[in-house]
Amino acid sequence: MNNTKGLSALLLTTIIGASLAGCSSSNTSAANASNPTSNANTTAQTEAPQPTEKALSGNLVVYSAGPEGLATKIKEGFEAKTGVKVEMFQGTTGKILARMEAEKSNPVVDVVVLASLPSMQGMKNDGLLLPYKEAVNADKLVSDWSDTADGNYFSYSASALGIVYNTKKVSTPPTSWDDLTRAEWKGTVNIPDPSLSGSALDFITGYLSAKGDSGWDLFKQYKSNEVAMAGANQEALDPVITGAKSVVAAGVDYMAYKAKAAGEPVDIVYPAEGTVISPRPAAIIKTSPNVDNAKAFIDYLLSDEAQALVAKAYLLPGRTDVKAENRANLEEIKTFDVKWEWMNEHSDEVSTTFTQIFK
Amino acid sequence: MNINSLRSFKWVSGGLALFILTVLVLLPLLLIFWTSIYPNEQLDIAAPLRTIMGSHDLVEVLLNSIGLGVSVILLTTLFALPLAWIMAKTDLGHHNWLDVVLLIPFMTPPYIGSMGWMLFMQTGGYMEQLLPASSVLTPYFFSYGGMVLIMSLHLFPFLYLLLRNALLQIGGNLEEAASVHGAPFFYRFKRVIIPLLLSSYGLGALLIFVKTIAEFGTPATFGRRIGFYVLTSEIHKYISSWPIDFGKATSLASLLLGVCLVMWYIQTLISSRYSYRLIGGKGTRTKRYKSTGIVGVLSWGYVVLLLLASIGIPYFSIITASLLKLRGEGVSWSNLTLKHYAELLSPGSQGLEALLNSFTLAIIASSIAVILGTWFALTVGKGATFKQKITDLFSLLPNTVPGIVIVVGLILLWNARWMPIPLYNTYWMVVLTYVVLFLPYTVQYVKASYGQIDSSLMQAGQVFGGSKLYVFRRILLPLILPGMVAGWMMTFTISNRELVASLLILPPSMQTSATYIFAQFEQGAVAMGMAMAVISVGVTTILLLVLEYLSPDRKRRQR
Repeated sequence: MNNTKGLSALLLTTIIGASLAGCSSSNTSAANASNPTSNANTTAQTEAPQPTEKALSGNLVVYSAGPEGLATKIKEGFEAKTGVKVEMFQGTTGKILARMEAEKSNPVVDVVVLASLPSMQGMKNDGLLLPYKEAVNADKLVSDWSDTADGNYFSYSASALGIVYNTKKVSTPPTSWDDLTRAEWKGTVNIPDPSLSGSALDFITGYLSAKGDSGWDLFKQYKSNEVAMAGANQEALDPVITGAKSVVAAGVDYMAYKAKAAGEPVDIVYPAEGTVISPRPAAIIKTSPNVDNAKAFIDYLLSDEAQALVAKAYLLPGRTDVKAENRANLEEIKTFDVKWEWMNEHSDEVSTTFTQIFK
Repeated sequence: MNINSLRSFKWVSGGLALFILTVLVLLPLLLIFWTSIYPNEQLDIAAPLRTIMGSHDLVEVLLNSIGLGVSVILLTTLFALPLAWIMAKTDLGHHNWLDVVLLIPFMTPPYIGSMGWMLFMQTGGYMEQLLPASSVLTPYFFSYGGMVLIMSLHLFPFLYLLLRNALLQIGGNLEEAASVHGAPFFYRFKRVIIPLLLSSYGLGALLIFVKTIAEFGTPATFGRRIGFYVLTSEIHKYISSWPIDFGKATSLASLLLGVCLVMWYIQTLISSRYSYRLIGGKGTRTKRYKSTGIVGVLSWGYVVLLLLASIGIPYFSIITASLLKLRGEGVSWSNLTLKHYAELLSPGSQGLEALLNSFTLAIIASSIAVILGTWFALTVGKGATFKQKITDLFSLLPNTVPGIVIVVGLILLWNARWMPIPLYNTYWMVVLTYVVLFLPYTVQYVKASYGQIDSSLMQAGQVFGGSKLYVFRRILLPLILPGMVAGWMMTFTISNRELVASLLILPPSMQTSATYIFAQFEQGAVAMGMAMAVISVGVTTILLLVLEYLSPDRKRRQR
């Protein structure tokens, strides 16, 4: 009796045990897939009681427009936080777009960071971007600069364009864009090349979008006053630092603030009639093989930590609740009434016309 | 039996060599032509011509390149001819160190040299700081003439060596022979010296032309500053900045390739038709003028002036720029610092990483290039079968074709949709590109070594029972080793400083010393870039000098 009881109990346990084991070995993945909530619950119970953040690993390829120092700090900060290895190509907006075009047949990039909003809008219209509506802190961004409706791109920072000048050579800085067409500035002014510098392109298209076709007069007068088109932003600024030229028209402000902080004899003015602010959008590319990592990268760009890095790099933070350090903040800079859609539609044409005028 | 197996081995090895060369060198170049004549999915032979002729800008770019080539020929001649005469005909020629020093301008990467010149000459530059009155020269320098000057100062050593060797080989005997037969000076000059010198000069001038129109560094730095655009800078622009245009890039590349191939063909014609046997058994005797008095003053003055312009000025700027604390402050003792070097060489810094990348890439690439190059050189051997000639031609092609053209071809090939080997955007793509670009060095050096070996040596080895491997290891290898070492060294040095390929094909998050320097110029950290230039040029130059000193065949390599 005892024996049979013991035997049946043994049988029962083995049967139950075997069926349970079979279930756990063969059906776990199916159960996970079909019933993620219960699985999440069990892991939450058995493991550490953390929120349901996915553990990240592997790589992320980022093509990023400068500034180099900030890009490197963001890369390091993101790597430290997530353990994802970031491979970063740093270049100007023009070079990044060209690289993506060259790699069209074999895309490797996950996230792009540009220095030009219209270029990013163009990519959105071409259907190249992966929407990420759930991006953390996206609601705090300056709404004009980001695709808040669909979450296609997020401007995590911005820079304003101004007139940068050498303080040793210039005692009374120009106060308006028209000043630079005067004879006293003949041959002493640089302007960045819009085919290389996204922010310069933004300035030119932004200015034209606000002024209409008559806006071209300014640039034609610049040309006849021997304004030189000189590479990307830093190449335009460099001769001004060394004193070879006196002024950069449409120079990015953060570079000027940075050089000034290092002790170089430069300063910047924002013309009274207004200027253009060039947002720096980031987006996930649709072909991204590492979508989770890419989303985490966007979240990181909008995080307090990265926004603080942005502010330290003399850029305007993308979030309205973060203030820039040691520089003019957004509300202190008067801007033109720019039309981003027009800028996006006409950027190629404007860039070509401009470089033809200045070549 | 033994002979047969040897033959079939040779046949397989030769076929394989040809196949590899076709894939590595020929296919990329053919793809450029193909892409340029097959725009919009439709065959159109005249498309590249129409693309270029249809655009006023591109015609101008083409004429710019050609004009620049001709101008540089003229100015290098002006620099090199007197120098060659001085070094061949006066006792300044006994100073062997001068020959090593005269190679420095040629070994200085042009993008660094141009940068040095720009820093020196620009408004508020070093020259103006040292000599304020000199600022009147600035506008004259930042012009077409300045560009020709910079490029000529880079290339003249090349023409000089050719001309000097020709002058030395003409020697006294031939002139004396003419003189004995009653020829007056003018007649001797016209009928002996000119024809003998002309063939060397013709070759040199053609090579200068090709090197000038293939050059990327100076147009990318100086040319951009003055708004002077040439084929190479435009090709680079069309594939690396927005809006990208492969059609225009490949059309221009086809054109550049075509011009260079024509020049190369003319060059082979000249060298086969107008080459004279000048080396006899007797050894040449040269009458040299004493460098005293007016001859001495003029000769030394000329050499010193040329060295100041070609080495003094650029290196002064490069070193000064690498030491300045603040660039806006100008040259003064209180504004000097070594912190850029410290920052560059600090562990984990981007600069150090780039430097190490360059060295490892160069070591791997030159090792592979030496193995492949030696194999190809031995395949070519002394033989003159069609297959050997073709192998020879293909393996030397990268030397004739401008670097940027090959790089465009390699991108088209390895990034093509149908390419099953995922090499593009990886480390190995860079290695592959360096190998292809610099293969000709090893091939040339090894071929030269091999050409001097009498086949009876190998036959003797076989007669005495040596296996093939043994004969190779104990007879052939030691004899061609100097050529292999020279090829390795040359590939190492040049790939270490290579710019245009690195700019276009480096995978993300990777830099070499050259792209680091270029990026620092773009990012405004000129001091860091120049510190890197000093270190990378310094280290490779020292390596070259050590090798030059150790190498048993010093004389022969001084072509």
